Amino acid sequence: MIDDQIVTIVFWIFSAGAIIAGYRVFRTDSMVRAAFYLLASFAAVGGILILLGSEFLGMVLILMMAGEMLIMAIVMVMYMMNPAGLNPMVMVHQNRVAAIAGVVAFLALAGVALAGDFPDKPAPDPPAATRELGVELLGNSMLVFQTAGVTLLATMIGAVALAGHRGRYGAADEGSLEPPLQPDEETEG
Amino acid sequence: MTTYASTEVALLAVALTLVVGVYLVAVADRLVAVIVAGDGVPIVTTLVAPVRQVAWLLSQSRTTTERPDAAGWAVAPALLAGLAAFALALVPLAPGLVLADPDTGFVAFSAAIAFVMIAVFLHGWSPNSPLPLIGAYRYGAQALSFQIPFLLAMLATALPAESLSIVRIVEAQEPLWNVIRQPLGLPIYLVVGLGVSFWGPLNLPDGSDLAGGTSLEDSGIARLLWAVARSSMLIAVSAMGAAGFLGGWYGPFLPGPVWVIVKTLILLGVILLAGHVFARVRIQTFVLVSWAILIPLALLNIFVSGAFLL
Repeated sequence: MIDDQIVTIVFWIFSAGAIIAGYRVFRTDSMVRAAFYLLASFAAVGGILILLGSEFLGMVLILMMAGEMLIMAIVMVMYMMNPAGLNPMVMVHQNRVAAIAGVVAFLALAGVALAGDFPDKPAPDPPAATRELGVELLGNSMLVFQTAGVTLLATMIGAVALAGHRGRYGAADEGSLEPPLQPDEETEG
Repeated sequence: MTTYASTEVALLAVALTLVVGVYLVAVADRLVAVIVAGDGVPIVTTLVAPVRQVAWLLSQSRTTTERPDAAGWAVAPALLAGLAAFALALVPLAPGLVLADPDTGFVAFSAAIAFVMIAVFLHGWSPNSPLPLIGAYRYGAQALSFQIPFLLAMLATALPAESLSIVRIVEAQEPLWNVIRQPLGLPIYLVVGLGVSFWGPLNLPDGSDLAGGTSLEDSGIARLLWAVARSSMLIAVSAMGAAGFLGGWYGPFLPGPVWVIVKTLILLGVILLAGHVFARVRIQTFVLVSWAILIPLALLNIFVSGAFLL
């Protein structure tokens, strides 16, 4: 089958892409570059998910990661004393702990891959898989997902309220300052 | 079941749409400008102007900046043009004439729109220059704001189709177009479409108030590629608007492909006209409008469409 061969080739391209981009995350010298390499790695994993017949999850992974990595890049640049993330900086730290954690995680995952008992029934075609996912999200697991969804929504609203322009003590660009504790401080300042 | 045209034909159709479309955007934008300004229409000059500009840009020498991210700078226009082609590949250009009709077509199109912000951010970030960087951050704020109204407005079109496939979404509009069934959808989509292709009043990342923004440091062929990529994105957004809200190939008297072209051109004309009629919106205003007005309107659109289907 030519289709099978193409799928195999594309699988290896995506796998190699995910690993190389993942490696580059730690070898590059800029946070913005690291975020984009991580995005490339996740996009390749999304491609593998699509190859596995999980079309919806793969597409959603690719869709969500674009926004997330951009936000991550901007937030990292905001917190670091590194204008725009273009100045070179080392992206790794705590090397020994990280190396041990990496080896342990790799061995554990490899153990699962080698010793695991995988089902060998063929994957359902993508429309059926998408439908099953929808039935699961709005059926048996609805309570779990709706709880998580409402929690996340409340967190988002809270974060937006905290970061908002209009603060408790006036607008941010008009010097939003707490009133002084002592009433007479106000006349001095 | 839909019968699909062969892959080669569909590929040719997408490529042709992009090539003709990019030239058309260049010509139409100039035509709209002179019509809005009330001058006479210099047809020959307008038709030749894009060719002259291409020749000029090709002969221009390349400049560079101090310590840019060369790879990112080179990839950004290619990524944007690739995303436009990917998005257009999902749009049915005639009954059965679509390069790919996955069952998750709507999600795939949204993923392409989400990656536009990566392309624009990369384009502004990589030259290592202040004004492009400001443009990049602006587009970050702009894109994150229009993302949710875009998803909600497009999601409403999937409700009557009971499918995320773009072809199903068009077929569900045979009795009634979405623009009538969901009157809020198309206006929201057009605002977002202006934002996605950063055109006219929403050209915040590349605006002239930033002396060109993310494309300030571009020169020669890089500037040409970026302009081509932007125009391609505009074509893809217009074509998807025609498929999602204006009933795609359905319409009286004329054959299907003609209707797709007419509807795409109408949306393209509206977007280009907006670029010459409305003033540039401040990013603060756009973010506020997106979160406080467009999202509630898009939610209302979904609730009302859903209620009619129950």
